[in-house]
Amino acid sequence: MRQVLKNTAIFAAASLLAGAAAGQQIADTGFKSVGRGWPLAADLRDYQMPGPTIPVGFANGAVVRGSWDQFIGSAHHGAAPKGVEPLPVDLFTSKDFYKDRELWSDPRYFRCNSPAGIEEAWGANTTATIGDNPPASAAWGYCDRDYPREAIVSPYPFKTAQEHYAALLAETTKRGGAHERPTAEQLEEWTGRYAHPGNTTDAQADFTGRNKSNNPQSYWYRMRHNQVPTILSLLTPEYQTRLVQEAYHAGNTNAPQWPSQYCWPEGFMRRWHEFAVWEWHIVAAPSVVQIVTGVARNFITTIHVDREFRMDGSVPRLGADVPRWYGETIGFWDGDTLITWTSDIQGWKVHSAFEYSNKMQTIEIYTPNRDRSGKFLGLNHEAIFYDPEALVQPIRIIRNYVKTSGFEEGDPYVFIDCVQTIFPIEGRSTPVSPGTVIQYEVPDMYGRPWAHYWEKYFEQGMEKPKGEDIFSFD
Amino acid sequence: MDIKRTTRGLVAATLTAAAVVAVPVYAHHSFSIFDASQTKTFTGVVTRVNPDANHLQIFFAPMNEARTNVERGADGKPIIWAVEMAGSAASAQQGISVSEFPAGAVFSVSLHPLRSGDPAGAREGALYKCPKKEPAAPGERVKWQPPAAGKNCDSVAGMTAIGAGFDPAQQAQQAQTARPGGSN
Repeated sequence: MRQVLKNTAIFAAASLLAGAAAGQQIADTGFKSVGRGWPLAADLRDYQMPGPTIPVGFANGAVVRGSWDQFIGSAHHGAAPKGVEPLPVDLFTSKDFYKDRELWSDPRYFRCNSPAGIEEAWGANTTATIGDNPPASAAWGYCDRDYPREAIVSPYPFKTAQEHYAALLAETTKRGGAHERPTAEQLEEWTGRYAHPGNTTDAQADFTGRNKSNNPQSYWYRMRHNQVPTILSLLTPEYQTRLVQEAYHAGNTNAPQWPSQYCWPEGFMRRWHEFAVWEWHIVAAPSVVQIVTGVARNFITTIHVDREFRMDGSVPRLGADVPRWYGETIGFWDGDTLITWTSDIQGWKVHSAFEYSNKMQTIEIYTPNRDRSGKFLGLNHEAIFYDPEALVQPIRIIRNYVKTSGFEEGDPYVFIDCVQTIFPIEGRSTPVSPGTVIQYEVPDMYGRPWAHYWEKYFEQGMEKPKGEDIFSFD
Repeated sequence: MDIKRTTRGLVAATLTAAAVVAVPVYAHHSFSIFDASQTKTFTGVVTRVNPDANHLQIFFAPMNEARTNVERGADGKPIIWAVEMAGSAASAQQGISVSEFPAGAVFSVSLHPLRSGDPAGAREGALYKCPKKEPAAPGERVKWQPPAAGKNCDSVAGMTAIGAGFDPAQQAQQAQTARPGGSN
């Protein structure tokens, strides 16, 4: 009871603090910048989800499944939506998705499901919508719902993170602010605990009805607001294949491979995903800022202020030429705004989203959100992602974190050691009790281990494009 | 006081201390699993570099004696060995990294094998990386120049030597008594 009251109080405090930032999707830089704070082409809160999904609730610590009268989607139990002609073969009926490549650009191939809708077909996060003859009886989403691609891609003219960072540094220098560090009072404002975007004003909008999106996070990366072909259009051909493979084994074979279920690394981009991180704990000093967060694994972002990357390796980096699961980050202050560049990232994946490569780099801008009186409310976090191997052009995610307290109160951050209890048994994630003897194939952690399970157990007979033969010397 | 001698003594003491400390700093398992009385030498094809913090590992498929292909098991699949060494950061400083040892690269290494006989070992001495071939056409996959039959990468013009302790003459002699899967 005491804990419930405490959580309610924190949530209410966050809501009050967030009030003045309501609708503030974009940071207010106070000037027209060359590379930060540009408006979004569309506000996700104005867009409804394609689905299909049946929301769940939580009560007494347990999930409460929803019912079909709560269904968000256009048809279910194998029926097609009115006015939509199904394709002869789609993700839920195909025996070989590789062969269907020419259909991937048609939303009907995915039954107009969002990537998250596909994941939820078998009840991954919500209530199953797959129907009584799975997978052929999978439900349909709304084919006329899609968050615009132009609101996802970066609006900035830069081809690389290096160019972007240099332009922001030059701009800040020209304005007289480069390396101008925050005051002690401003650092104190930065330091503290921040609520997950699911507990911020945008989530509040759900309850007030202002947010049509039904998305507590109010940014696109959870993949609830797009048709799959729109996300595919962001990717290079190889990474398109990988995303369709992910979708096929989530929606068709029901063999999802979520890295954290095996205590595998979460990977860099999970920092933007739902439930991978919760509160942010930020410690800010003039020369270094550290953001600590996590749910199944720890995410520790250390921003080295006023350092420069070495440029002599395969990618820019601070330390040894070793790809790091969460990269290495440099940055500079512009007063109380922090502008960062992250590189040297280990490529990996995020379930229901797309894979990314070792060439991934980001520019991230943390700008204080303040109310009209100048009171610090939290941080606007704008991130631009550059990955020439996976992405056909840079993309952007913007979200707002609301500060809930300093460290004078509240629970400390709990360092998470993940202890594996779920193992892949014949390609399916399976909880295994102590004492059970299983046959275990050691994964090749740097060779898309999730794909190995799929290809070994669920893709026999498919015509997968052949990779290069490294054993050929002719 | 003989300052020179004292300095030399300090340097020696420091080096000794560093040597003693070095292994515990990097190791996260006992090296008693390896048989230090045995050394095997391989020339192989990199299949993966695992850049873990404690011990970088190179997984590789040993080449046949003719250096025309890799050794294969009864199922026709390449036999895979693993060689572990210092942590990924220390190894990268030597030039052993994911980017410098991509899949397909040909290299030679000596290792102390596992006592169990399983196909893995701890690196002993230097690594020799064979050179790349000139691509036949722009955009074509990079290929690597294997050594001549019975030879290792240290014998190939344009090779890269990393570290020390690999004696080509000794290896040539050992190659005469080489066994499939490596030389003892």
